[in-house]
Amino acid sequence: MKRAIPAVISAATALTLVLAGCGGGDEPVDPNAPVTITLAGWSLASTPEFKTLADGFKATHPNVTVELKEYAPGNDYDTQMITDLAAGTAPDVYVMKNLKNFYTYQSGGQLLDVSDAASGLGSAPGLASYQVDGKAYAVPYRQDSWVLFYNKDLFAKAKVTPPDGSWTWDDYTDAAKRLHTGLKGAGSNATGAYQHTFQSTVQGFALAQTPNADLLSGDFGFLKPYYERSLDLQAAGAQPTFGTAKTNKLTYQAQFGKQQSAMLLMGTWYVATLLNQRTSGDADKFQWGIAPAPQFDKSTTGTSATPVTFGDPTGLGINPKISKSKTAAAKDFLKYAAGPEAGKALAGIGITPAQVTDAVTTSLFGLDGVPQDELSKFAYSKHTIKPENPVSKHTAGLQNLLNETHSAILSDSKGVDEELSKAQTRAKNEVLNQ
Amino acid sequence: MSRNTVAGWSFILPNFLGFALLTLLPVVVLFYVAFTNWNVFGVAEWTGTANFRRMWDDSSFWTALRNTVYYAVFHIPLTLAAALGLALLLNRKLRGVRFFRTIAFFPYITSIVAIAVVWNQLFSPEYGPINALLGAVGVDNPPGWTASATWSMPAVIIVGTWRYMGYYMLLFLAGLQTIPAQLYEAAETDGASPWQRFVHVTLPGLRTTTFFVTVLLTIESFKVFDLILVMTGGGPGQSTLVLSQYIYQKGFEENQFGYASAVSIVLFGICFGITVIQFMVNKRRNS
Repeated sequence: MKRAIPAVISAATALTLVLAGCGGGDEPVDPNAPVTITLAGWSLASTPEFKTLADGFKATHPNVTVELKEYAPGNDYDTQMITDLAAGTAPDVYVMKNLKNFYTYQSGGQLLDVSDAASGLGSAPGLASYQVDGKAYAVPYRQDSWVLFYNKDLFAKAKVTPPDGSWTWDDYTDAAKRLHTGLKGAGSNATGAYQHTFQSTVQGFALAQTPNADLLSGDFGFLKPYYERSLDLQAAGAQPTFGTAKTNKLTYQAQFGKQQSAMLLMGTWYVATLLNQRTSGDADKFQWGIAPAPQFDKSTTGTSATPVTFGDPTGLGINPKISKSKTAAAKDFLKYAAGPEAGKALAGIGITPAQVTDAVTTSLFGLDGVPQDELSKFAYSKHTIKPENPVSKHTAGLQNLLNETHSAILSDSKGVDEELSKAQTRAKNEVLNQ
Repeated sequence: MSRNTVAGWSFILPNFLGFALLTLLPVVVLFYVAFTNWNVFGVAEWTGTANFRRMWDDSSFWTALRNTVYYAVFHIPLTLAAALGLALLLNRKLRGVRFFRTIAFFPYITSIVAIAVVWNQLFSPEYGPINALLGAVGVDNPPGWTASATWSMPAVIIVGTWRYMGYYMLLFLAGLQTIPAQLYEAAETDGASPWQRFVHVTLPGLRTTTFFVTVLLTIESFKVFDLILVMTGGGPGQSTLVLSQYIYQKGFEENQFGYASAVSIVLFGICFGITVIQFMVNKRRNS
């Protein structure tokens, strides 16, 4: 009997709690009640964007605290996040670091429908990538695009005319070769161009610019001219070979920052990196500029046209396991992060936000050390951005396969035709049939 | 239950629970997942033998298997010979022998990332000292090493052998010390040459150690992962893609955990099969 009493009390308490829980949903939630939402980020000490977003949101929503949770950088971020989501321990709001894995999260039911938060964002580039069957499952807060960084001092040294926004790929190749000759003549060891070992440096542009190119078709013929030009540049010595870049672990930051190469094709995130490099002494002081990426043909060149480039958005999604009382605050945070206020704040630390407005351009070009010429502003703010990773269940598999093809072609072991034809057969038999 | 049984269980239980939870259970789950289509989220969909049938038509799987065998076939005998050679050399009573033993063991305890960075630079086709040396001795067209699809696997095998020979040398050294000195004295008295002493005294005396080393080396070779991942990432192309890396790629990069588990079972089967054969051959030899 003595034992029965505590048991009855426990059961009654449990029942009360359950009933209280059931009734809680009907009570109005106080919009000003203090709420804490957790947000995933990586390398928090060296990646200030998450803190900028958290602090900026707190300023307009004093009752909401955004608590940062640190994840692994690089590719390990997704591995760690997928594990945490599967285990039910992931944060309330998490970053779609890579569009390649959006399909896994969305099809796996790991993203809340955030169409209401996305509805006010208008035509933000990158938003479409997160829409499935008319519903939005994440919103973009960053949208980098690939441009051409160039070293004005090295161009002058080699006596080569710098880019003016009218370049096609043939003009770029030609300039890289002339830079190589000119720099050599002037006693410099710098190469004309540096294309990092990323597959994006070749495949991203080919996919974005070639009319009717479709990654998911499994037809990769559109890559051929882009690879032939890269191989041509390597053979001419106008850019370091793929083997050298790999075996010597060359970094694009050092290649451009230490004036080892006169041109660098890279995403706009490099603006912030280069500024930091200069402050820390990891980069030399030199005159530099940004030009639009070279184009497929003349139709998209010149400052009166809109150049075509590529870049994946970085998005924020909500974990469906978030408690109901926090959902509204999390959606408000998404609206803020993808909106104009956060855009200005992000531009103020050198990050390119989802929507590049005039205010964003002014904010970014107001940073100390950013070039002030009109072409740089044009290249930064005006372009059509195509996704590098179209959302599909096959994207991760195709990108892995094409990464192997990339290293096979650029290491010059077999011919371009042979490797592309092998990639097409493999895509058909190993990825697209799954 | 007797008091002794309870005591016995209480000693075993903590360890056994850890083993059951962290090793046995995942292995059992792996065997189940291999017969499903599962992307980590949600319920695994039972697909029977579909994953194994898929492997049959998957050229990347066969490339990875071929590369794994390529690595093992060269890595095992080379490491065995190098480790035994080192052990024989460093088993003598020489001045500073301990220093040289430490040096030989050093690669085994060095960070794999550091090894990859240094060796990749040594192998650099244009600027590396290895090709500079080859050029100096008259090799006109030195290999591209890790930057070439043909030479990447030999490069990885060289580094793999260099890394592991110190560890197996230690096992051989231990084995050598168990051979009674009287056997050598007797052989010398009978007029046996150093080679005859090696063949008729050392090798038979090391039989158990050699068997043990070969089994360990075989398993280690078939499971090779980190060295290749950091040195070449499986490239250029698929020239150094091995099974364990293929499993990682399919599982953690493409979220196809069912298929990755099926390939793991094949890798397990290969390691298990070869080890059983080695045990059988050894048993027959002993009898």
